[in-house]
Amino acid sequence: MTDKNTRFLVVDDFSTMRRIVRNLLKELGYSNVEEAEDGQVGLHKLKSSTFDFLVTDWNMPNMTGIELLKAVRADPSLKHLPVLMITAEAKKENIVEAAQAGASGYIVKPFTAATLDEKLAKIFQTMNK
Amino acid sequence: MSDKAINSGDSDELQALFDSIVSASTSAPVASAPAPAPAPASAAEQPVSDAAAAGANMEEPARSMFTSIGQLTRKVHDALRELGFDKSLEKAASTIPDARDRLAYVATLTEQAANRTLNAVDVAQPLQNRIESDTDSLIAEWDKLYANQLSVEQFKQLAQRTRDHLKTTSANARATNEQLLEIMMAQDFQDLTGQVIKKIVEMAKEMEGGLLEFLVQFSPTGQAPKPSAAEADSGLLNGPVYNAESRTDVVTSQEQVDDLLASLGF
Repeated sequence: MTDKNTRFLVVDDFSTMRRIVRNLLKELGYSNVEEAEDGQVGLHKLKSSTFDFLVTDWNMPNMTGIELLKAVRADPSLKHLPVLMITAEAKKENIVEAAQAGASGYIVKPFTAATLDEKLAKIFQTMNK
Repeated sequence: MSDKAINSGDSDELQALFDSIVSASTSAPVASAPAPAPAPASAAEQPVSDAAAAGANMEEPARSMFTSIGQLTRKVHDALRELGFDKSLEKAASTIPDARDRLAYVATLTEQAANRTLNAVDVAQPLQNRIESDTDSLIAEWDKLYANQLSVEQFKQLAQRTRDHLKTTSANARATNEQLLEIMMAQDFQDLTGQVIKKIVEMAKEMEGGLLEFLVQFSPTGQAPKPSAAEADSGLLNGPVYNAESRTDVVTSQEQVDDLLASLGF
């Protein structure tokens, strides 16, 4: 079973999207959610606090989601953090790039609660192996 | 040159810019062709390639590049004036800030709508949860009553609580309805943004027409260069795909994302 106290960090430059993801996570039983408005702020939060799961957008100012992902994977203390990308970027190139950079999952916007639930479950399953 | 500028109602700034460029070009060794008055468009290519070739050195080539660009600008400016294109391009350029404002408006409206809707859900959800939990506990008590497990006194209390519950439920239902109405009203952005977007599309079409005409006139082959789809949409920061039909380089569903990842062994 997955821990409902899992600490999530949701990184997206649109506050409405952060809110929707936060609400969906709450609906799925995860109420321990923090937010950041771009990759830079997100990375700072990841380094200064402890998180169990990162959900990030791709296209953001200052630091994009893919840069954030690469920074996380390059950091010895963060590299095992599961990273789920939720983004409107739908080119195949994007998906390949994200997978090669070490993304744990990839969801294309607009998405449903069921998709989020499924991807989270899959990532947790892989982690617990 | 300056006579022509005055006669054609040219601006002082342009003239000053031009003068500075001309004086720079006479001193700059790499700069070719000290910009003659309105030259044919074909000659425009020469200074660019010269400047590019000199790109290996630092300070001086940069200056000469600016010089060449300035000369080109002047040539284009004069040519446009002669052909009467300046007015149409001016009009096209003036629509850009307008379009930008409209798009900002769309962004604001949609954000507001999303927030309004989410606020309404935040208000309505606890009301619904309360109805559900209260009803569940009353059902359990009524079940006890039908199983003859309640005393007369307990039954009286249950009846009272049930009566209160009905009143609360009615009030909560009304309040929830208000929130549903609010959610409905928040969708009015669709109408407003739809109209604005339509206008922007029209604007873009007009601009495209103007620019295309200009390109046809000035490209050496007399044809507008067509950027390939890949060129127009390269890079990895493209945002939502709004033209998925007729494209093979994008995914259109989560299944396709999953399939692609699976095919890569992820």
